[in-house]
Amino acid sequence: MGKQIIIQPVSRIEGHAKVTIQLDDSGNVADTRVNVVELRGFEKFCIGRPVEELPRIVTSICGVCPWSHHLASAKANDAVFGVEPAPAGKKLRDLCNSIAYTEEHILHFFFLSGPDFVMGPDADYSVRNVFGIAQANPEIGKKVVRNRHLGTQMLDIISGKSIHPVTAVPGGFSKPLTQKEKDKVLPMAEEVLEFAKFSIAFAKENIFPKYLDTVKVLGVINTGFMGTVSEDGALNVYDGKLRLMKPDGSFTDFAYDQYTDFIAERVEEWSYLKFPYAKAWGEGFSMDTANPKGIYRTNSLARINVADKMATPLAQKEFEEFRSNFGRPAQLTLLYHWARLIELLYNAEHAVELLNDPEITSRETRVPVTPRAARGVGCVEAPRGTLIHDYETDDKGLITNLNLIVGTTHNNAPINMSVNQAAKLLIKDGKYDQGILNRVEMAIRAYDPCLSCATHNLDGRLPVRIDILDADGNLINTIQN
Amino acid sequence: MDYLEKEILILGCGNILFGDDGFGPEVIEYLQKNYEIPSNVYVCNTGLSVREILFNVVLSEKKPKKIIIVDAVDLGKSAGSTFQLDVDEMPEIKCDDFSMHQVPTSNLLKELKNYCRVDVKIVVSQVQHIPEEVSLGLSSVMRDAIPVACEMILNEIN
Repeated sequence: MGKQIIIQPVSRIEGHAKVTIQLDDSGNVADTRVNVVELRGFEKFCIGRPVEELPRIVTSICGVCPWSHHLASAKANDAVFGVEPAPAGKKLRDLCNSIAYTEEHILHFFFLSGPDFVMGPDADYSVRNVFGIAQANPEIGKKVVRNRHLGTQMLDIISGKSIHPVTAVPGGFSKPLTQKEKDKVLPMAEEVLEFAKFSIAFAKENIFPKYLDTVKVLGVINTGFMGTVSEDGALNVYDGKLRLMKPDGSFTDFAYDQYTDFIAERVEEWSYLKFPYAKAWGEGFSMDTANPKGIYRTNSLARINVADKMATPLAQKEFEEFRSNFGRPAQLTLLYHWARLIELLYNAEHAVELLNDPEITSRETRVPVTPRAARGVGCVEAPRGTLIHDYETDDKGLITNLNLIVGTTHNNAPINMSVNQAAKLLIKDGKYDQGILNRVEMAIRAYDPCLSCATHNLDGRLPVRIDILDADGNLINTIQN
Repeated sequence: MDYLEKEILILGCGNILFGDDGFGPEVIEYLQKNYEIPSNVYVCNTGLSVREILFNVVLSEKKPKKIIIVDAVDLGKSAGSTFQLDVDEMPEIKCDDFSMHQVPTSNLLKELKNYCRVDVKIVVSQVQHIPEEVSLGLSSVMRDAIPVACEMILNEIN
């Protein structure tokens, strides 16, 4: 047995993650594994609770995407109660979702992944962080803060609470938007749209061209994709149908509640996190990077790949340029960042569009619901991937069964494969250096998983340690910052 | 409420789904129910989302004078003991993982204290037990520690 390299984040942030790289006797990569700890016991905890409580409870699952969980749960409630939410309520949910997206995508691009690109992957770790960006580009730093803060303020005005939202309820939205509130929020949304335009232009001019060589090789794998589209095939992050695309670009559309006909979840003994795969393709499951089977990806690149078009004009222009450059489906993993900026633009445009819709200030924001025994599946596109809430209730409306599939889980197999590919690229004949840490992290961060900031501390010190163990498990070397 | 306009932020961190880990949010709820909060003070149960606020505060031109973090820790002390931690006093090994939560809080707090000149106070209580699986409710010793933590916080804001 050869050496084993373990890359283990020191900090506990969005989940604990550990990368293990197993070398063979020649010092080349034999196997890699990425472990992420999963929330345990949530399903059991929910059994017997009134289903309408869940939209409020699920916001405590995740400090990163509380809005996504809140909305997926409210949609599952609609389905359980068998109601179509009031149109204005649906629009208010959609609006909050798009605003939350802009906050999240700005955070990810400028704070989490941006430093790798803005400061460069080989920049000293003491400056390769958000503070480095703020010092090197103080004006951008100020704009980032202002625009993220605008997002928080808009959500506070619309829903009363931006962190633990409670306003999406079965049948709609509990708080109508007044004309006065709308007049206050609209200019804020327009300002965020200006920043979204600036962000993608800035990235296309200053960042992507410089790192295209890295984009072409790092973490590259060949997979299918899944995301949500509207009936007309346009990208939609709040509502629509699921589209599962094979690596060759052919695809099948299906309703949320049919997801179990298309996706299965595989368990591996070495990971708490399940591995969803496309069972509908009938080829089984394999994470062999040379010949993957059943593997699909979610999150921004997947959504851009499965969509036929964008529903807003500026995003459509960017979408056309992206597709003309990289084809369909685009497979290069680091293109997730580019796709994320197209989505930032779409969501900023969409928020302004919704605020200009006269129906957004309607007082009729919810319809009444009555408990019944039923199954309901709610789905939204969380920034990190397709989020599925699947509930079953008895005739009193109490939960009898529950299943959640979150964005990071869909990407569990692809993250493992991208790390495997990156490690094979970077470790030859037992030779490796600290650069491997940065680049393996970059491959993981492209997926913006819920461990993304665990791999990038803000004081500049990488929260990563490589332990090299001999065949008997004895520590023979440690590399860390 | 615009927290960037406030002089003092009191932020309760933790996950109410994991027993004693919900100490910070419970303290915030108790404060809001039982005390009059001055208008220059922002009090928030940030749950797992404290990062959302701290990121913005660190890079913002407007900063509060003081931030009080309320959190649960496991530092091997007697369960329910409540005390203050200084950001600089945290042992290096605990610098990044002292929090029970999913937030890179400690780094941001160090930045706030050392470079942004914000007075950072960390009020913590030693947990008795953090369940492996989702389970609501504090242990009795942690529950008893809530008013103690509130008094510490009030001393700080007064």
